Amino acid sequence: MTATAETTSAAAPKDGDVLVDVRGVKVHFPIKKGVIFDRTIGYVYAVDGVDLQIRRGETYGLVGESGCGKSTLGRAILNLEPPTEGTVEFDGVDIASLSGETLRRKRQDIQMVFQDPMGSLDPRQSVESLLLEGMKAHGLAKNEKEANARLRELLKAVGLPAAALKKYPHEFSGGQRQRIGIARALSVNPKLIVADEPVSALDVSVQAQVINLLEELQDEYGLTYLVVAHDLAVVRHISDRIGVMYLGALVEEADAEELYEHPLHPYTRALMSAVPVPDPVVEDRRERILLTGDLPSPANPPKGCRFHTRCPWRQETRCDTERPELRSVQLEGVSPGHRVACHWAEQIASGELKPHEVKAQITEQSDLGGDEDLMGPASIQEAL
Amino acid sequence: MTETIENIQTRRGEDAGPLLSVRDLKVTFQRSGEQPFVAVDGVSFDVRPGQTVGLVGESGCGKSVTSLAIMGLLPERGVKIEGEVLYNGQDLLKLSRNQMRDRRGADLGMIFQDPLSSLNPVVPIGIQVTEVLERHRGLSRKAATPIAREMLEKVGIPDPNRRLTDYPHQLSGGMRQRALIAIALAAQPRVLIADEPTTALDVTIQAQILALLKELVEDTGTALIMITHDLGVVAGLVDRVNVLYAGKIVERGNRHELFAEPRHPYTWGLLNSIPRLDGTRGQKLTPIPGSVSDNLPWASACAFAPRCSQPIEVCREQQPELVEEGTRALRCFNPIDDEVRSGRTPDAQAPTSTQPRDAAYPTDDPKGDPTMEESR
Repeated sequence: MTATAETTSAAAPKDGDVLVDVRGVKVHFPIKKGVIFDRTIGYVYAVDGVDLQIRRGETYGLVGESGCGKSTLGRAILNLEPPTEGTVEFDGVDIASLSGETLRRKRQDIQMVFQDPMGSLDPRQSVESLLLEGMKAHGLAKNEKEANARLRELLKAVGLPAAALKKYPHEFSGGQRQRIGIARALSVNPKLIVADEPVSALDVSVQAQVINLLEELQDEYGLTYLVVAHDLAVVRHISDRIGVMYLGALVEEADAEELYEHPLHPYTRALMSAVPVPDPVVEDRRERILLTGDLPSPANPPKGCRFHTRCPWRQETRCDTERPELRSVQLEGVSPGHRVACHWAEQIASGELKPHEVKAQITEQSDLGGDEDLMGPASIQEAL
Repeated sequence: MTETIENIQTRRGEDAGPLLSVRDLKVTFQRSGEQPFVAVDGVSFDVRPGQTVGLVGESGCGKSVTSLAIMGLLPERGVKIEGEVLYNGQDLLKLSRNQMRDRRGADLGMIFQDPLSSLNPVVPIGIQVTEVLERHRGLSRKAATPIAREMLEKVGIPDPNRRLTDYPHQLSGGMRQRALIAIALAAQPRVLIADEPTTALDVTIQAQILALLKELVEDTGTALIMITHDLGVVAGLVDRVNVLYAGKIVERGNRHELFAEPRHPYTWGLLNSIPRLDGTRGQKLTPIPGSVSDNLPWASACAFAPRCSQPIEVCREQQPELVEEGTRALRCFNPIDDEVRSGRTPDAQAPTSTQPRDAAYPTDDPKGDPTMEESR
């Protein structure tokens, strides 16, 4: 695996200053069973070999459906979920090698914005105390006067009035709470902000406010973002580069514009054709690639290409035996930074291979644990 | 192709007259010691056979309460329901609880947002489908089982024989939603209400479910009431769109005309605030300022005025009426005109988009959030 990791990342472009370098990262969660003896009866392969680089000042969008491992990867980059294998280098330092106090101090540079602003803000802390906590922990609130000035600056940056300081999270609307969450992340001057589904809990009319705010803050503070989301339209709007994940691995990575113009992986194509567009004229004309069946269980991923069980372009050879690597392809209109993990990307792009019908395969929701333990497997599914 | 099907449907629908007709529905939640809250405020719409009618809006606009009121699923205590829900000319709101139980499932089916919490976790899927057939069609369990299998197959559940004995937790999210649709359709209701049926699902699964619903409406002539916040879903599925804001319908129209020519500033604002997959990148979104809780009371003003992009004086002084005009209806004193619309974001749809759109949006600043002092 180490060998393949090196070859693929060597193929990746080296332009720009790399802030985060993820190499061969795997996160496997053990599935335990038994009361007295904790036997490990299998693993959930949540993230299974991901290489990606995030350049300074860019927004990297990670998109995929639920259970594809995108959130786990985001957490692995913050070392909230220590990788089972592989390394995450942040600003030249291997995060996994840090521990204790050094790791805690490093966290000042990497902050997170969560999906549910109500769940991620302590209901019993005022906004002032919420924002000060991080600053104090990192020694940024030396004297009261300075801290107060900084608090006001933060609130102004996220578009909240100074009167908000004395209020509590429940006094705000969803969009405003998300602004508080963003202010808290900003309070310690981070270099990278990992935003996990930053707008999906918000009303449609408010989503745009938060998206615009994130963009403005990036311009103002030169932030680097990793945005993890399931909504391809939102990710495409906000990101410079996008990585598409399927069942624990990247299947395609490209510039946002190019990914839309020239999607190469069958899964990316299907995903894009499934996103509804608010325009009846477009909707009536569109050809949908309807995928059959569901996402296979990450505890028992298909052999070979993970997408082959649902792929309309699946071929007799290679797809079910050989796992494709993320590679650059030589095609017109496709830049070298555009990587895809498909054996047949060129043939599909040229139209040489045509999609065919796929019969839905039954996805086992109870792969593990056997019949006597009906609730067990279900809770694993939910845990994802 | 889709166009012709739609035409046929509309024609068929117009001949048949409305199947379900909601008239001046008003739902008030009252709790002792608290101000009564009007969740749905005089909503009227018709649904014809084979037609898909959409109720669109954000959280708190009253779209779900409307559906629960139609189904008679609101609690009796603390809720006051006024108006009429006419099904084949009969007012469902006047029926007793037992009479309504005979109607629910048989004449009116409902699909909820979260399939896991709407399915009984300790009863196999097959029994949950046959239950409906036993209750409403008087079949024995033995006779109902083959029909249940057929239903599961029809909604695209592979290996239905085995699935009959499976429990909800053994199915994936998409399969659960299909099972829920099978239950809702088992007794062949003529009206189907789908309350955010795809919101909890992934996009590729959403596409499957929407295709299934579309097919059902086309094949069986079921009338579908689609409740959603997703304008993308509306654009692909719904024939008649009702846009709700704070409990009232603010705009109504057929799907093509509504999207091509939105007249209410709220509809227009919604369309401009969502990023489009096929839009131009690098363009700033135009959000609607404030949040859904920043409303004025409808009794003396337009509830949307505090968030509106072009409010005029009268908006804060008087209640706008829903004015019908041909196939469209609008509740606004100062609707979006052609000039503003042509300055719309340069999508593929607007070839004459040369004017700067900022001119139309003086309050473009998302930071100018006026909600702080009002929010509770």
